Amino acid sequence: MPDILLRYQAEIWQAIGETFIMVGVSILAAILVGLPVGTLLYLCRKGNLLENRFVFSSLNLLVNIIRSFPFLLLVVFLIPFTRLIMGTAIGTAAATVPLSIIAFAHYSRLVEQSLLEIPKGVIDAAVSMGASVKEVVFKFLLVESRSGLVVGLTMSTISFISYSTIMGVVGGGGVGDFAIRYGYQQFQTDLMLYVIVIMVILVQMIQFIGMTIARKIDKR
Amino acid sequence: MMEWGLFVIELQNVTKKFGTHTAIQNVSLTVHKGEIHGLIGASGAGKSTMLRVMNLLEIPDSGSIYVGDRELTTRSKRELREARKRIGMIFQHFNLVLNKTVEQNVAVSLQLAQVPKHQQIDRVRECLRFVGLEDQMDKYPAQLSGGQKQRVAIARALANEPEVLLCDEPTSSLDPHTTSEILTVIRDIHERLGVTVIIVSHEMNVIKSICQRVTVMDQGTIYETVPIESSGIPKSDRSPERFIKELKNDA
Ligand SMILES: Nc1ncnc2c1ncn2[C@@H]1O[C@H](COP(=O)(O)OP(=O)(O)O)[C@@H](O)[C@H]1O
Ligand SMILES: [Mg+2]
Repeated sequence: MPDILLRYQAEIWQAIGETFIMVGVSILAAILVGLPVGTLLYLCRKGNLLENRFVFSSLNLLVNIIRSFPFLLLVVFLIPFTRLIMGTAIGTAAATVPLSIIAFAHYSRLVEQSLLEIPKGVIDAAVSMGASVKEVVFKFLLVESRSGLVVGLTMSTISFISYSTIMGVVGGGGVGDFAIRYGYQQFQTDLMLYVIVIMVILVQMIQFIGMTIARKIDKR
Repeated sequence: MMEWGLFVIELQNVTKKFGTHTAIQNVSLTVHKGEIHGLIGASGAGKSTMLRVMNLLEIPDSGSIYVGDRELTTRSKRELREARKRIGMIFQHFNLVLNKTVEQNVAVSLQLAQVPKHQQIDRVRECLRFVGLEDQMDKYPAQLSGGQKQRVAIARALANEPEVLLCDEPTSSLDPHTTSEILTVIRDIHERLGVTVIIVSHEMNVIKSICQRVTVMDQGTIYETVPIESSGIPKSDRSPERFIKELKNDA
C-alpha cells in the first residue's frame, strides 16, 4: 500500500465512516420517504387510482424544485431549517438533513418512472379481483416494478455519494472532503488520486451489486 | 352475501364518456343467468367499455348497474370490492403479474378474498388442474405460451368461484388453434361450473362458436340483441397435410 495512504490511515477511515453515515441516511430517506412519495405521485396522476390534481401538482412541484436547485445552494439555503431540527447546521449529522431532502426527491422520481412502466392492464386485473388501493400497491405494483426500484436505488445511491462529497462546506466530512483538504489543498495530488480511485471502486461495487440483484429478481 | 336472481347483470341507461367522447350512450342490457352472452361490433363501438362498467372498472357517468340483486354504482368502496370478487374477468393481454409464478398469480386472488392460507394451495391446484396447468405451478408467465398465460388468467379469475366471467377479447392475441382451446375452457366453465359468461370479441367466428345470445354494438349504442344457435368450436387441425390442403384451396 502506498505510504501516503498509510500515513493518513486514521483520517481516511474516519472519512469513509462519515461518508457511510451520510450515504446510509440518504438511502434510508430515499426508501422511507422517496418510495411513498413516488408511489403517491404515480397514484395521483391523471387517470390513475387516486387521481388528485392538487396532491399531484403539489408533490410534483416540490420534487421539481428540490431537484432543480443546484445542490450546493440547496445545502446553504437549508441551513436555517437544519439548525432548527438538528440544533446545529455543522457536522456529519447536520449534513444528513439536506442530503435526505435531495435523496427523497431524487428517488421518488425514479420510483414514479418505474411504476409508470407497468402495463395498465395489471392494475385492471387487480381491481377486477377486488383489490383495494393498498393491495394494488403492495401485491401488484411493487412486485411488478421491483427490479426497476432496485436499479433506481442503485443509481440514487451513486448520486448520493457524489452529493456527499461536497458536504465539507458544512463540516460534514467524508471522503470527498478529505480529498479536497488533504489532497487538493495541500498539493498532494497523488493522495487525491488514490481517494478518487477508492471512490471509483466503491461506485463500481455498488453498481455491480445493484444490477446483479435487479437482474435476479426480474422475471419479466 | 349477494343474492343472484334470474338475471345476473342488468345495465339501465348507462352512459360513459371519456372527456367529450361518448364511449357508450344510454345503453340498457340484461344478461340472463347461465347464458353465454356475446358482444360484437366494430373496433371502437364501445364493447370493452360496456364490459368494464359491469364491474365498475369504468365508472359510468349516468345509469345503473345491477349485479345479482345489487345496484353497484351506489355501493361503498368496500362493498364494491366484495362484489368484484364474485365477478371474474379476463383480458386480451392476460394481465398476469410477471414477477409472480403461476401459483402466486392464482393465489393472490385468494389472498384478496381472505381465504385462509392452508386452503389456498389446494384451491390453487384445483383451479390450475381445471385449466390443465397443474404441472406448471412454479413457472413464471414469461416461460409460458400465450394460450398457457390465458389459462393462468382464467384460473385466477375462477379462484373465488365467481358467478360471472367477463371476457374482453380473450382470444384476440392467440392463433386459431389456441383460440379453440381457450374457447373450450370457457365453455367448460359455463357447462361444468354454471358460470354466466359475457364475451367481447370483434371476431364473428369466436362469437358464433359458443354464444347463445349476442348483442351487436354500433357507435356506443346497442344495435340489436339476437338469440343464436351456437355453431360449436371449430376443430383446429395443425397437421402439415391440412396446411397444404388449405394453401391449395383458395377458399
Ligand atoms: N380510457 C379511455 N380514454 C379515452 N377514450 C377511451 C378510453 N377507453 C375507450 N375510449 C374510447 O371509447 C370508445 C369505445 O372504446 P372501447 O369500448 O374500447 O371500444 P371497443 O372495445 O368496442 O373497441 C373508443 O372510441 C375509444 O377510443
Ligand atoms: Mg375492446
